[in-house]
Amino acid sequence: MEILKEIIKDHTQNVEQTFKMAKSDLLKTYRGAALGWAWAIIKPVVTIFVYWFAIAIGMRRGGDVNGYPYFLWLITGLVPWFYMSEMLTQGTESMKKYSFLITKMNFPVSTIPTFVSISKLIINLILLSVVIIIFCIFGYYPNIYYLQIPVFLLFSFLFFTFWSLFSAPISCISKDFSNLVKSFVFAIFWFSGVVWNADTVKNKALRRLVKLNPVTYLVTGFRDAMINHKWFFDKPKELIAFLVLLLIMGLLALWSYRKLRKEIPDVL
Amino acid sequence: MAETVIEFKNVTKIYKLYSGARRKLLGIFFKSVKYKEKKAVDDVSFVIKRGESVALLGRNGAGKSTILKMITSVCFPNEGEIIVNGRVSALLELTAGFDPEFTGRENIYLKGATIGLQKKEIQELEQRIIDFADIGDYIDQPVRSYSSGMKARLGFAINSNVRPEILIVDEALSVGDTAFKDKCLDKVNELIDKDHVTLLLVTHQVGIAKQFCKRGMVIEKGKKNFDGNMEEAVVEYNNILSKTK
Repeated sequence: MEILKEIIKDHTQNVEQTFKMAKSDLLKTYRGAALGWAWAIIKPVVTIFVYWFAIAIGMRRGGDVNGYPYFLWLITGLVPWFYMSEMLTQGTESMKKYSFLITKMNFPVSTIPTFVSISKLIINLILLSVVIIIFCIFGYYPNIYYLQIPVFLLFSFLFFTFWSLFSAPISCISKDFSNLVKSFVFAIFWFSGVVWNADTVKNKALRRLVKLNPVTYLVTGFRDAMINHKWFFDKPKELIAFLVLLLIMGLLALWSYRKLRKEIPDVL
Repeated sequence: MAETVIEFKNVTKIYKLYSGARRKLLGIFFKSVKYKEKKAVDDVSFVIKRGESVALLGRNGAGKSTILKMITSVCFPNEGEIIVNGRVSALLELTAGFDPEFTGRENIYLKGATIGLQKKEIQELEQRIIDFADIGDYIDQPVRSYSSGMKARLGFAINSNVRPEILIVDEALSVGDTAFKDKCLDKVNELIDKDHVTLLLVTHQVGIAKQFCKRGMVIEKGKKNFDGNMEEAVVEYNNILSKTK
């Protein structure tokens, strides 16, 4: 309980500073390269093209989904995943990257994962707007279901910020943990329904398991908003399952931060 | 009787040394994983009153810097209690502690905020800091482009001008050219005389320690060996040095 109070205090007393650090994290990511901000677009575009080419052209599995071209279906899942994968790896590395804030000054350490997360989310918001523009170009205009996009953004933000607060302290202590996370990102990607449709899994138990995966839930949420036109409260079971997992992630974050907060400056 | 600004009550700081990376990882999850304890600071107690200037003397690795880091609450003790009353400004390794991608000016705001100043207060101090650092147009360049001398200048300028109540100086006065060094020494003197700042100094230069401090503490292997008159502290410190030769 004490630690929760401390984390909340760290955040409420440093709101302005947290956003400033997020801004600087953003600038840092893209400053210093000749193409600068263009990389925020080029990298995802290349990735999207590769998956689209491999699946739609190579495996010829790119059929329309719910009347939408496969390409649109693909990008509504891939773009939110970009934020998640960034947070899985760079969220885990956040405290190591900003070690000078921890070892050289009295900085509110618990806000480090938060500002890294905000920075990644801002990039993702830009990409998501591009996705909406592409939808318009294809002739699919925003409708009432788009209103739940912010809900799923919030869900992703909370889940992966909690994740970072959990994983960043551990990765400071153990390099093995960082490597473990890095090698699992790829696995998480293919086990979650990002490039394939989780609804088409035949085995019922397996399908349930796949849908329990928070990455699948979040990605499906964005697709429900933009393609399937379903409300998030229309799937109460899955919603509750996700919220329970979110709570567990939050508790893990508290456990990790409480246990390791005082050791982090010693090991960095 | 002056008020107490820093108090250490039986403070012990233990670093855990695991024999391998695997044990280190397991140690997060299981209490039973064995590790060696290195006591960096071993049952140290002292009281420092407002306006005192204290020098910490000791060999490398004696635990001086760990004590300073605990005062600035960068790291935490395993046992004991630390009480600090007042705004601490620490010159721990001058050239570090900046965000290298921020400009000098932005770093002034970052440091000011972490010390606990309001934005308005920093705005008032900004010009004084820039004048003191005297690094010209570089103030609006990212700190990564600075030379180590420039970083030291900016570091000292910020920390000495944010109206500290407790000033902690760790080997910091030995950087920069002679002119800037003298400027720094003058500034420290001014802070002590005018603003009655409490000074904690870590240095291997006995001359500087004598110049500023009346009280000396000798730290050896994490324990406080001597605490008292500066002259006697220097004798004790030299004793330790000659023993190890």
